[in-house]
Amino acid sequence: MATKTIKVPKMLNGAPTGEVDTIQVEDYGVATWGPKTKHRLLNTHLPRVDAPNKTTGTAIYTHDVKVPGMLHGRLVTSIHAHARITSIDISAAQKIPGVKAVLPIVAAGGEVIYEGQAVAAVAATTPEIALDGARAIVVKYQVLPHVVTVDDALKPGAPTVGRGPGRGGNGQGNQQQVEAAVAACDAVVEAEYRTPILHHCCLETHAVVADFRGGPNATVYVSTQATFGIPGDAQRELGVPVTGVVTHMGGGFGSKGGGIGVVGQWACRLAKQLNTPVKMVNTRREEFLMTGNGPGSLHKFKAGANKNGTLVAISTIQYGMGGIGNGGIAAQPYSYVAQNVFRQSTSVNTHEDSSVPMRAPGHPQACFAMESLMDELAYKIGMDPVEFRKKNLPNNANGTAWHRQLDAGAKAIGWANRNATPGGGAGPLKRGMGCAIGSWGGGGRAQCVVDVKISQDGSVLVTSGSQDLGTGTRTYVRAIVAEELGLDMTAVVEKIGSTAYGNAGGSGGSTTTASLAPAVKDAAYNARIALAKLVAPLLGAASADEVWFDKGQAMGNGKSIPWKQACAAVPAAGLSARGQFVGALSGNGAHGASFAEVEVDTDTGHVRVTKMCHVQDGGLIMNRLTAESQINGGMIQSLGMALFEGRVMDPALGIMLNPAFNDYKLPGAMEMPELIPIIDDGDERNVVIGIAEPANIPGCGAVANAVFNACGVRVRETPITPDKILNGLIELRRAKA
Amino acid sequence: MAVKSNSRNKPGTATGMTRRTVLKGVGLAAVAAPPLLSRVARAADAPGATSVDQPISGSITITLNINDKDHQVAVEPRTTLLSALRDRLDPPITGPKLVCNANTCGACTVIANGRNIYGCSVLAVDMIGKKITTVEGIGTPENLSPVQAAFVEKDAMMCGFCTDGFVTSTTAFLKKNPNPTLDELKQGLKGNFCRCGTYPRIFEAALAAAKVLKASGK
Repeated sequence: MATKTIKVPKMLNGAPTGEVDTIQVEDYGVATWGPKTKHRLLNTHLPRVDAPNKTTGTAIYTHDVKVPGMLHGRLVTSIHAHARITSIDISAAQKIPGVKAVLPIVAAGGEVIYEGQAVAAVAATTPEIALDGARAIVVKYQVLPHVVTVDDALKPGAPTVGRGPGRGGNGQGNQQQVEAAVAACDAVVEAEYRTPILHHCCLETHAVVADFRGGPNATVYVSTQATFGIPGDAQRELGVPVTGVVTHMGGGFGSKGGGIGVVGQWACRLAKQLNTPVKMVNTRREEFLMTGNGPGSLHKFKAGANKNGTLVAISTIQYGMGGIGNGGIAAQPYSYVAQNVFRQSTSVNTHEDSSVPMRAPGHPQACFAMESLMDELAYKIGMDPVEFRKKNLPNNANGTAWHRQLDAGAKAIGWANRNATPGGGAGPLKRGMGCAIGSWGGGGRAQCVVDVKISQDGSVLVTSGSQDLGTGTRTYVRAIVAEELGLDMTAVVEKIGSTAYGNAGGSGGSTTTASLAPAVKDAAYNARIALAKLVAPLLGAASADEVWFDKGQAMGNGKSIPWKQACAAVPAAGLSARGQFVGALSGNGAHGASFAEVEVDTDTGHVRVTKMCHVQDGGLIMNRLTAESQINGGMIQSLGMALFEGRVMDPALGIMLNPAFNDYKLPGAMEMPELIPIIDDGDERNVVIGIAEPANIPGCGAVANAVFNACGVRVRETPITPDKILNGLIELRRAKA
Repeated sequence: MAVKSNSRNKPGTATGMTRRTVLKGVGLAAVAAPPLLSRVARAADAPGATSVDQPISGSITITLNINDKDHQVAVEPRTTLLSALRDRLDPPITGPKLVCNANTCGACTVIANGRNIYGCSVLAVDMIGKKITTVEGIGTPENLSPVQAAFVEKDAMMCGFCTDGFVTSTTAFLKKNPNPTLDELKQGLKGNFCRCGTYPRIFEAALAAAKVLKASGK
């Protein structure tokens, strides 16, 4: 039964007349979101509740934590890509006044397999003395042969990295048959696409404060995506029960997915040895070299389409470059359907740190390659790139979403006005447009426990151990409870980010909101029902069913009393309600489409994105304001991938040439285009899904395709830097001559 | 030397800045060029040094004026202002953040005698006698400045780690240019990085704050 009647006082000019009126309200007998368009708080633009802290220096991050007696930890890291350590001499370091402990990490005789691998750790009274200590440690290396590029790693006889040659997938499909089908097509594209290793560049580097003082327990603060990943690791090192805390954290993007990391392990060991708290913070250089990367990729495509716009056949051989890690890349043909598919995927290892998840792992890379390929085929058969894409979408809900989003994005960017002939126009400034689509799973799982407490004085507290990466978790946690109880945002307090509160899963796969929000809703609903039972007698209502909370009031039986007054019915110890995951409130499957307009300076090769839009669905959006910010963020990271970012390795020396912001280029203020984030309200699903990663997937492909439309140069390797444009223009001129 | 403004100009490539790393690790006593040293210490053990007029080394207690308050803090000559704030002061001032420690990203922005500077790129001992403002001195949660209030309203933040630096830079910038175009604003804020992607809303917040400040006659 959804609609019920509540008896409220009849009002005239703001005063009760003494008579009784009735209102219709929706109550489903179970935690439910209710109609999408009828939310008072959810699905609206809610300011972030932690914004006043984040703008005034009062939000405390792990980097900011200071506890009494705290020492500063520092790592020593390998300067070679591949070497054997012949000796580590810590004696000079130990003698420095203020250095309290020095621990070798790799023993003499041990092997290091990437530049930046931790080899020793120091704890000292000040950061400067810790640096002196680190510098005074003498590490002697026997340099060994290395490989740090995919081309070198694939050469026969290349040095073995770590576990041995990269894990290969056996091909799926019949390669010969597929390639024959390709050859028979009206239009054939045979091309290689590459993306380099990328970096998360979290502004807050990996950091841990191990607050252990030799006592029966410890608190460990970690800049992490998973509050509950802290205690297991830390307890192993410290040997005592650990409370894990992450009140605020300065960005993860996948790199801080679990555990306490190398800095955590060694901060804990130093703290354990000294019975003194130790803070260890990765330097920016270490952040680039040793905290995990987003894998590079190499795609070898052979594909064919017919003049009628059918993607007939595609053969893809794909390499993921993840250093010593897996480097997984999403399977092709990514979003599209082809009649004949052969795919083979191999992970190629090099002497670099391990790949870790990076905002939609494997998808931006696969999407850039596939969307570039689709674009090349579209131009070859002379079909509108949007129309060609539509012709090859799956015939299901995913396809339906993409049809809708391609239309919305095309409208927002002004697709009808795009450059008719790639490279056409007098120049030197040439504009063009491109598009791309992507998808992601998201979805929730049963992992969160949420508690709501209503006190006799009317205060409301909701607690969850969950972390907030800047995604806005705090805000919707509060909003769900406030909306359920008929209160304003200011009447509810939320506390998150500690293992002292209810369990929560780590943030990965865009699953946090879809897992946590349903549990918060369940807790809020349970709290409302329990409170209604207590308040019914105050109102003279026959049962809890006749009680309703709205506008800061408790109403029923023709009466209405303020919330605080109603809470006098709460016992002195307070009313506690617990919530858990409700599958019916969560769903999965997110889709997005990006469109970009660029201006290419054909004299200098510079590419400037002038306008970019991204259409994203996500079921029921908790907070439109923060969702739009996420979509903006995804577009900007995609822009960075397309035009600026990439690890550069020196193949001869085996070292990274740009482990700093001056040479690993992040998009900055001067690079900002007009950005149009669009929430796809055509998505009717009334469940929470998750949007953080899908917003980051198709933008790079859209920019690359826009570049081609603008100047006729097809750049198949990101980042699309001026040299690639200029070389491409030279080749075009040669081909014409 | 003027810095060319074009879309590819990146902070950190501006010329004319003396790299802090030249002095760090060398020790002031070893630096040979007196004109570089406009300030040197009095006796190294004089507490609360309020100016510096002899070569110094080791630990020295100095006075820094931060957010209208004098603080005594023990530093080494090579201690940056940022580190003095975050690691040496008790209680620490943690609004300015340590992100790159290399004069590129602006998360450590503070205002010194009205000029926004990178806290990681100046020595604490060089800040004696200057009026330093950090984000904490610009406003509080209970009493947000117009810039801070605009950041809150426009959602000009996500993880928040760059936000203090942006608030500080925007505050100083709007004092110098109270009526900026979007392009002027981008130029003015290009010394601050964000990874989460909050730039567009920072611009909206800054332009909205400019209107509020103009209307209130500040």
